[in-house]
Amino acid sequence: MLQDAAGAVSARAVAKVDEAAVIRAVQHGDQDAFEQLVRAYDQSVLRLAMNLLRSSEDARDVYQEAFLRVYRNIHSFRFDCSFHTWLYRIVTNICLDHLRKRKVRREEPATVETADGPVDRMDSFEHEGPHADPERRMWNRQLGDRIGAALSDLTPRERMVFELRHYQGLRLRTIGDMLGTSEEAAKNCLFRATQKMRVVLGDFV
Amino acid sequence: MTCDAVAKAIPLYYYGELEPAVEDGMEEHLQFCTGCRLELERQRAFAAELDRRQLLPPPDLAAECRHELIRAIYREEAPAVRHRDSDPWRLFREAFESLWHPGIRFTRPAGAVALVALGFFAARFVGSGPASLNLAGTAPDSIVSSIRSVQPDNAGRVQISLDETHRRVVSGRLDDQNIQRLLLAAAREQDNPGVRVESVELLKDRSASAEVRSALLEAVTSDANPGVRLKALEGLKSFAGDAEVRKTLAQVLLEDDNPAVRIQVIDLLIAHKDDATVSVLQTLVGKEDNGYVRMRCQNALREMNASVGTF
Repeated sequence: MLQDAAGAVSARAVAKVDEAAVIRAVQHGDQDAFEQLVRAYDQSVLRLAMNLLRSSEDARDVYQEAFLRVYRNIHSFRFDCSFHTWLYRIVTNICLDHLRKRKVRREEPATVETADGPVDRMDSFEHEGPHADPERRMWNRQLGDRIGAALSDLTPRERMVFELRHYQGLRLRTIGDMLGTSEEAAKNCLFRATQKMRVVLGDFV
Repeated sequence: MTCDAVAKAIPLYYYGELEPAVEDGMEEHLQFCTGCRLELERQRAFAAELDRRQLLPPPDLAAECRHELIRAIYREEAPAVRHRDSDPWRLFREAFESLWHPGIRFTRPAGAVALVALGFFAARFVGSGPASLNLAGTAPDSIVSSIRSVQPDNAGRVQISLDETHRRVVSGRLDDQNIQRLLLAAAREQDNPGVRVESVELLKDRSASAEVRSALLEAVTSDANPGVRLKALEGLKSFAGDAEVRKTLAQVLLEDDNPAVRIQVIDLLIAHKDDATVSVLQTLVGKEDNGYVRMRCQNALREMNASVGTF
């Protein structure tokens, strides 16, 4: 399981250099300290955006927008929550905006057409390598399609909660804080998301 | 617990998000119920499938994003820094530079204020001199550029000999030779950085011409305004492999006082790796004060499998 893995890695990285001192330095205009802060968190921000939006270009946009917002608003950070929660609140808001815009103009398909037929947008899904059994590859491709369809069937908020819990390993209480909702609401979101996905995936798993 | 209640709780059980009492009840039920155990196995298989399909960002993406971010920030001083640093000339230069950076929209008003300030100071310092005299008796669109002689006569009058310059508006296409010549002259216009930037912006897409390239190189090395220098560097991008251009870029890298310019020069130089670049980067690492520029330099050297310093 990926219990709290991402959060723990980021937290450990920053704990080494006393995060509060770094943030105060940034608040006083120290750009090196800002860069230190960015380095501590940027991999997990990118991973979250990549998995939610499934596009490295969109992830790049989210990265820029999120850290620029941090840079512009760090003076208003009052240490009444962890920096991690504050940052993720920014990132999740930006990602939710992206997801909502996509919902309006219809979700992009999980596969793209190429000369070799449809290929999953998530290239790293092809984990069996080029010599894998063709039947297995076909099955995997179909499963990838189903997972793409299942994810696109979720509301932006369900998608976000699922992503933060399953892939980012955050606790539902933290997720509730980030999304400005209760732990109970986050719990319901996770339940609905899981149920919907399992229905779509049917006999695949 | 009933099978129905257990089935509903399985996702939260899997994620460890159940209350301890409910979790205990579930575990008790699972010991005796094969159907619910199978359901839990399905949840695990489902989660494992999703784990296998987690997307990881491409290895270089974070570094690229960080680079873009820091560049954007160099053009946008933090409010705290802005309050702390009250050097008016620096503020003016930064505000002015922000005019030609398309990414940060909200800095444009600051640039506009700077331009107004430029006009104000220009009027204060040259407004009373002969260059701005506009006299009755001269052509309406002319200004006096110099006074040659002043000769009083016996009738109490004065005869003044002067040179006039006339303002003209010319227009034409960018590929017109005359227009290009005027743009080249405008790119060297000492008193007006706005005119220089506009001219270099128009010329930068025509760097295939040796004359234009030479003007761009001159702007990169000599222009006092970093906005003009950055624009000129953009124009030299397609000639980053040219020996003469690289020689100039190396000189700029070691001498320019603006970090954004130095970063852009590093990008141009490392697009075509060679020994001379290694040497310049190693020299820069030793003297660079700016942490980000130094880091970019060190990264570039590592990418070229070169040592980070000279020993």
